[in-house]
Amino acid sequence: MSTGTVGIVLVSHSAELAAGAAHLAGQVSGGTVTIIAAGGTDDGDLGTSAAKVTDGLRRADSGAGVVVLPDLGSAVLTVRAVLEDHGEAATVLIADAPFVEGAVAATVTAAAGGDVKAVAAAAEEARHVRKL
Amino acid sequence: MSASFEQEIALEGDLHARPAGALAVAAGRFAAAIKVTAGGHTADAKSVLGVMGLGATSGQRLTVSAAGPDAREAVAALIAILSEATKVGG
Repeated sequence: MSTGTVGIVLVSHSAELAAGAAHLAGQVSGGTVTIIAAGGTDDGDLGTSAAKVTDGLRRADSGAGVVVLPDLGSAVLTVRAVLEDHGEAATVLIADAPFVEGAVAATVTAAAGGDVKAVAAAAEEARHVRKL
Repeated sequence: MSASFEQEIALEGDLHARPAGALAVAAGRFAAAIKVTAGGHTADAKSVLGVMGLGATSGQRLTVSAAGPDAREAVAALIAILSEATKVGG
């Protein structure tokens, strides 16, 4: 844990959804993890923004890597395009997970000191956890 | 050296999202395998969604059990969190 905790980037088609999920995940995990909301287009419409994702990845990385959660499949296209364009040294994993549950599970695992693989795995396990 | 420990606590409040999160963050820092059991259901203490899925409510008895090198410390830490965090709610 010498390089800090894994950062989280929430990529949503909605700025409000990304911000709300980031707030919730931050509250549940105790506020020690960097969670960046990258929602909406550059104009504030529904959609995703390569610029916001790029900025989010940069701000979320403290050296321990970043886990990205897309809300819907088409957000993955934006994330992949950004990663191909930049190819930075930072370790970035995209988690295939339910957005809200995945954000909460990933952030809690990051807060506990998990590495990028553990954080992404926690998010992906969310699809198997029942709420009823 | 590996060991198993468990302890029971009566919840003073419902196990909502924030106390469940505090529990799972703390649990994740231990090497031991840790389980929480309430109302006949058991969850991995390191899984915040699993802990929330227990739906544990005020007055219910909850058991924390751990197995592993730091099991004793893990149980003590989680019981302390449960006794504090569930008073706050949220």
